[in-house]
Amino acid sequence: MADDLVLDTAIRDWVLIPLSVVMVLIGVLRYFVSKLMRTTQVPDAKVVREGQVVLRARNLRAAANFIPAKSFRSRRVYYGNEENGLLHVPKGQAQNAQAQMLSDPNMAMDMMKKNLSMIIPQTLTFAWVNFFFSGFVAAKIPFPLTQRFRSMLQNGIDLSTVDVSYVSSRSWYFLNLFGLRGLFSLILGEENAMDDTQRMMQMGGFGFDASKSLSAEKDSLDIVQHDWALPRLEQRAEAVLRKLVK
Amino acid sequence: MVGAAEEIQLNRLESQVEHGGGGAWEYLCLVRKLKVRRSEKVLKYGLAILKDPKKRSKLGGEEWTLYEQVSLAAMDCQRLDVAKECINTLQKKFPSSLRVGRLEGMFLEAKGSWADAEKAYSRLLEENPLDQAIHKRKIAMAKAQGNVSSAIELLNKYLETFMADHEAWRELAELYVSLQMYKQAAFCYEELILCQPTIPLYHLAYADVLYTLGGLENLQAAKKYYASTIDLTGGKNVRALYGVCLCSVAINQLSKGRNKEEKDSPDLHSLAAKALVKDYKQRAPTKVSLLTTTLQNMKLLS
Repeated sequence: MADDLVLDTAIRDWVLIPLSVVMVLIGVLRYFVSKLMRTTQVPDAKVVREGQVVLRARNLRAAANFIPAKSFRSRRVYYGNEENGLLHVPKGQAQNAQAQMLSDPNMAMDMMKKNLSMIIPQTLTFAWVNFFFSGFVAAKIPFPLTQRFRSMLQNGIDLSTVDVSYVSSRSWYFLNLFGLRGLFSLILGEENAMDDTQRMMQMGGFGFDASKSLSAEKDSLDIVQHDWALPRLEQRAEAVLRKLVK
Repeated sequence: MVGAAEEIQLNRLESQVEHGGGGAWEYLCLVRKLKVRRSEKVLKYGLAILKDPKKRSKLGGEEWTLYEQVSLAAMDCQRLDVAKECINTLQKKFPSSLRVGRLEGMFLEAKGSWADAEKAYSRLLEENPLDQAIHKRKIAMAKAQGNVSSAIELLNKYLETFMADHEAWRELAELYVSLQMYKQAAFCYEELILCQPTIPLYHLAYADVLYTLGGLENLQAAKKYYASTIDLTGGKNVRALYGVCLCSVAINQLSKGRNKEEKDSPDLHSLAAKALVKDYKQRAPTKVSLLTTTLQNMKLLS
């Protein structure tokens, strides 16, 4: 029976605590290493400019009704004309993010560094845990759990008779790997949290396509109906004054 | 922009510090946060903290921020010796920092050695071509030397890249107005209105520019923008009220003989005149007669 299973205190002293301490230390170390390797990204003038153009065009779209029709039309042409409009993207130049990444070795390098600082320590610690602590129970959680948690808590033990509330050492490693995020954000500062899961997500949405947002902005600018708000405001001003004079 | 509540808090802290109630550091932090310019006070209290090693070490890493703040204030008060000391300390701590480099450039500016400052900024820009603050310093330098046209040129170049920077647009508009280039100024004010359509100040300035440009169409537009200023300020802005009166007079003169197109708001100007009289009665009773005769001459008040 599971109740008979008594865990040696030496396991606590030599497996459970060292494993957690090592995970924390590795996290801290990794943070500093990645800080050293991080290159300060010098923003490209073109990228900055495109961002600002989008911002300005968005302003124009939002507040179009506040300027006279003539001014609005001239601006729209300025942004969207086919020759040298700010929002117009020539067909040949619209390169996709993938090509851009390949053409810019810095970008690929950066990504590789990020990945290296994440993957290498992870494989090493996993190998270390596997080698020394594989296949035995390291801890017991003080409440019972259903069978579904077996794969989560008893990774590396292929016994179906062991109670689910026992945690195998390899599972303890995984729990630490993903669960220490809160601790890291405490000791390393809020934004510096070594967040593996978040990083993995970031890798998916890598690279932002400026030309796409430019042309999207152009399209929405093209369909804006200009309706000068000032005559209405004049009437409102009249109402305001009337109230004031009374 | 400084809100009313923050201003009250700032003044309260200032008087507290002045009367020896402590809280100098909090005051300096607030000044920095609100970006207000009270250089004399900052210099006095900041320097007192910096000269006291015990207080200084209590700040920890913030110490360097204080050095920066004090050196800027010292430059503003022409205490160049203090500024130099602060910058030297910072230089020792951060030898290759862009921020300290900027301070050094500003120090050269404060000394009046424009060429050296120019050189320093150009060197910094080579490394960081996209540093907005340095670009702005260069523009300010051109303006300080009285070289408005080159300031405009630089500002235009700056705006080509950072075109969403509405403060730069505002500066450009004011520069154009000072050179009486009203069409260009009007464009800048349009840009400002687009950026922040609810700020009455921009509507007012745009209306001023349109009124100065003249012509029936511009005058009508100017009147509308004065009206929108009235709407946005709740009729509290005297300049806008006067603007409406003057615009309608000028429009009447120009469109004399032709059919009037004043269908939107036929009695806006007379209402504005009445509001003006009421305002004067409340706040400057001695000037009311002056106002009424002027308005009667303009045939706005019967």
